[in-house]
Amino acid sequence: MSGRALPLVSALAALALTLALAAAALALGGYPPGEAFGALLRGALGSPQAVVSITLVRTVPLLLTGLAVALAFRAGVWNIGAEGQLYAGAVAAVWVGLHAGALPGWLAVPAVLTASVTAGAAWAAVPALMKLRLGVGEVITTLLLNFVAIDLAAWLVHGPLQEPRGVFPQTESIAEAARLPLLIPDSRLHAGFAVAVVLAAVLALLLRYSRVGFSVRAVGASPPAARSAGRMPVGRVVAGAFLVSGALAGLAGGVEVAGVTYALYENLSPGHGYTAIAVALLAGLHPVGVVGTAVLFGVLEGGASAMQRSAGVPAAWVDGIQALVILSVLVVDRVARRILVARGGRG
Amino acid sequence: MFGRLNGRRRGWAAAVVMALAACGGDADPGAGDGSPDPEAGAALRVALLTSGPVSDAGWYAGAYEGLLLIGDSLGAEVSHQQTRTPTEFDEAFLAYGAEGYDLVFAHGFEYQDAAMRAGPRFPDMTIVVSGGGRVGDNVAPLIFTLEEASYLAGMAAGGVTRSGVVGMVGGVEIPPVQGTFRAFEAGVRAVRPDATILEAFIGNWDDVAAAKEAAVAQIGRGADVLIHNTDAASFGVFQAAREATEGGAETWVLGMNRDQNDIAPDVTLGSAVIRIPEAFLEVARRLLAGDLGGAPVYEGTSEDVVDFVANPATEARYPDGLLQRIRAAGDSIRAGTLEVPRVPFVDGETG
Repeated sequence: MSGRALPLVSALAALALTLALAAAALALGGYPPGEAFGALLRGALGSPQAVVSITLVRTVPLLLTGLAVALAFRAGVWNIGAEGQLYAGAVAAVWVGLHAGALPGWLAVPAVLTASVTAGAAWAAVPALMKLRLGVGEVITTLLLNFVAIDLAAWLVHGPLQEPRGVFPQTESIAEAARLPLLIPDSRLHAGFAVAVVLAAVLALLLRYSRVGFSVRAVGASPPAARSAGRMPVGRVVAGAFLVSGALAGLAGGVEVAGVTYALYENLSPGHGYTAIAVALLAGLHPVGVVGTAVLFGVLEGGASAMQRSAGVPAAWVDGIQALVILSVLVVDRVARRILVARGGRG
Repeated sequence: MFGRLNGRRRGWAAAVVMALAACGGDADPGAGDGSPDPEAGAALRVALLTSGPVSDAGWYAGAYEGLLLIGDSLGAEVSHQQTRTPTEFDEAFLAYGAEGYDLVFAHGFEYQDAAMRAGPRFPDMTIVVSGGGRVGDNVAPLIFTLEEASYLAGMAAGGVTRSGVVGMVGGVEIPPVQGTFRAFEAGVRAVRPDATILEAFIGNWDDVAAAKEAAVAQIGRGADVLIHNTDAASFGVFQAAREATEGGAETWVLGMNRDQNDIAPDVTLGSAVIRIPEAFLEVARRLLAGDLGGAPVYEGTSEDVVDFVANPATEARYPDGLLQRIRAAGDSIRAGTLEVPRVPFVDGETG
């Protein structure tokens, strides 16, 4: 993970590759790429309201899940389960939020967020235990638990947590007191954005300067070396990274519920937990970089909707282009690593 | 995952509609029949939000067709966005509100909370929520009174049944579905007061096998006319009727939500249909006339939006005079002299 310039170069390369592929795809579909990209940029960045209420609001869950993935990957934990941990957090947040009507705001909001953090960590604890006790690979277990969490949320909004009239598959809105305050009045930007940015800074500082952060990096680089040379409790480091990663993803779900939707719906997330992998990799797994890449993906997602509205590009094309972005990120990231290895930058 | 209310969502391949939807935002101006209304001008801006693809040949495709119809007939500027998650609901209203759109069709109950939040914020924009349950100054639920056509379908069933047993197969037991079934029962009894009426719910909208199983069970209990309100699972009901008929036990089906007369033409008596495009056009006209907002919008038989369409291929199987009776009942509903049962689900609505 040395060579600080390379992540930036690879990020720019990924962006260029994506734009070229997307332009080709749009032209192929008969949609003028210039017009579509223009709509994208205007929709995401065209006005202060667009930046604040669309792009930055979209950034929040990507930032939190991106941090979750970055931390896990740094510790060598391949947590593909941010999506499920997000749902677990959202479910817990809604449950507490629905029952928090009597609490004052200063207590209700922290209660909701604490619930989501705890639920996310608990959802990650299952694959963590399976990895450490039974040696079951976490790629499979975290991925499978995503589907369990998504189906659990779907069942809840059709059953126990369904709104009282029982007509619509969603929960009632959470109590006013349990909703996140707005950062900027008359916008949609909620306090979750500030929380996420602060957490990114804290995570960056901890990873770089603290003993725990050093252990995480050492274990991630080579568990046997960390164990034998560093006498580090590898299992505890792995478990800790796993749980904190789950907690961050859970918080993403809690913040979405408490700051954006106020209710639980069946498909709350369009796959933030998977996009997060691209967000984290594109940032070179660095927390501060994740802030930048999360904003970049926020621009893409917010602008993608504007491409539908203003340029008439159908949703399926927009989805395809977003998938292209993730693919090119993964490809460029891999190529960049190869170059690093060839240069002997990393053994 | 959304918009399953009343099971009008997923579609079957109707190539024409698919081709229309595939045009995307490139609306074909030649598709319209009406000439642009000079009074409306190009100032009217109308948007559509769906949470599913408009290529579904059903619930969403109908809405998209309606949007294009408004564009063609009223010369409106139109825009569509497919939202993928609830986080996009507020954002979409914000974007359209900021751009000065006059009318937003939010095509599914799932938009109602976000619509209620956006309403006060953009007082010059009117939001119409299909199947919604809440009313605001500039937020109006759009309710399709499919019960009216279900009643007429019930009359067809009551007239055609020989055994005197008819069956109803539903998706999820929610008020809009219950409403269509109560109305269907009333229609059956209007023609055949002593009829036995069976009811089953399969608990979802897309399990074809479960729908077939429920239909087979009802046929086994003597039902010889079936109606469904199961959306995509309805294939199972048509299949069960066709197999029973082929096995010698003549069984009839009634379609729901859209014209399903050609799925199994030889065993289908007719369909209770909703014409979404016409409903949308009517709503846009009401906006221009200053007659929209503050109250639910009901679109039904009177507006020619909801209708019972007899299957021409099987009309000969209707007993003499039945079709005339059905038509007369439709006229009475239109005239307001015949009231059809309905299960309310809009806030403050009393049925």
